[in-house]
Amino acid sequence: MQRQGYNRTAVILHWILAVSIFFLFVSSWWMLGLPLPSKELTFREFPFQLHKNIGITLVLLLALLLYVRFKHRPAPENSSSMKPWMHKLALFDHVILYVLIIAVCVSGYLSSSYTRWDTTVWWLVDLPRIAAPDEDMNMFYSNIHLWTAWALLAVVAVHVTGAVYHAFRNDGIVRRMLRW
Amino acid sequence: MATSFSTPTTKSFSPTPAWASCLGVVAIVFGVFLTAAYGNEWMKQAVITQSMPASGEMPAADCPEEELEEEGISLAECEYMVSHVEGIALSTPDWFPSVQMGLAFAGMILAFISIIIGGALVNHTSWASSSAVLTFGALVLVDLLQFAAVVNAGPILRDLYLWNILLWFVIHLMMTTGAIAGRHSEAGL
Repeated sequence: MQRQGYNRTAVILHWILAVSIFFLFVSSWWMLGLPLPSKELTFREFPFQLHKNIGITLVLLLALLLYVRFKHRPAPENSSSMKPWMHKLALFDHVILYVLIIAVCVSGYLSSSYTRWDTTVWWLVDLPRIAAPDEDMNMFYSNIHLWTAWALLAVVAVHVTGAVYHAFRNDGIVRRMLRW
Repeated sequence: MATSFSTPTTKSFSPTPAWASCLGVVAIVFGVFLTAAYGNEWMKQAVITQSMPASGEMPAADCPEEELEEEGISLAECEYMVSHVEGIALSTPDWFPSVQMGLAFAGMILAFISIIIGGALVNHTSWASSSAVLTFGALVLVDLLQFAAVVNAGPILRDLYLWNILLWFVIHLMMTTGAIAGRHSEAGL
């Protein structure tokens, strides 16, 4: 019998991604208020490195989630629960979510690559520099990072609204992502 | 009319009552937010504590022109960022960071558990409602302890934290009450 909900691995990855994305938003707003770095002022060092580490990990987790999603497709949802326009909106929202998560993470990495700061993944593996410091390129990718992040927040709001709507309708849609 | 879902073999889930579905999704959404927020608070205390100079005196701000342009801030803002951290550090009693880190860590774990509890409520598992009362109740306790800590921490930290803590206290109290009411309605009380 085809499972009614998503594969358990996909479910766990989804919630790890959700918490991580919100943490990145909350922590970035705080860390951008910290003093600019110098030899004596090192407040930004840990939060920025953690931000990059989580961002890099997110891309890998998302790739895994997409693989699992397509390898273990859930049964279609009960068609009476969703009008055709809802189904189209949900599909569009999901695709845009994946695209924006990748865009935010990649633009963040590229922006960082053009600064003088190196990236050490989880303080274990030094990522090789892909470019020399370049202020203009840093600003370019930084702006993309900023605007795709705002767009991601808006799309997440739509996503959460949809989930809450279905939960209040009690139509079983939300259960598909709550299989533990 | 709600569609009932049942899985084959050993587990079967009864149709979810509306209260459990609503409370469950609220718990999940707030749980995601709060896990992130508490995690950030834990990090904040750790970073401020460990990055403060041993002498207790903050060095002067370092504000190169290109950095100001990149950040989109003025020289005054850049200098204020240092004063701001210095002010918070000055206003923080010695005991506060470790207490706050402990409570933030406990809150983060409980908030993450509340995501799982929320899912269990939506799935209407047998253990969901009792676990919800315990978890949401524990979050109320964390809020009360944070409230007490911040009240005793001085006016600057009260300004920073107190309203936020009060808001979460009210939310968690309502969620705990909702879980208790749900259990009572199922028991026919």
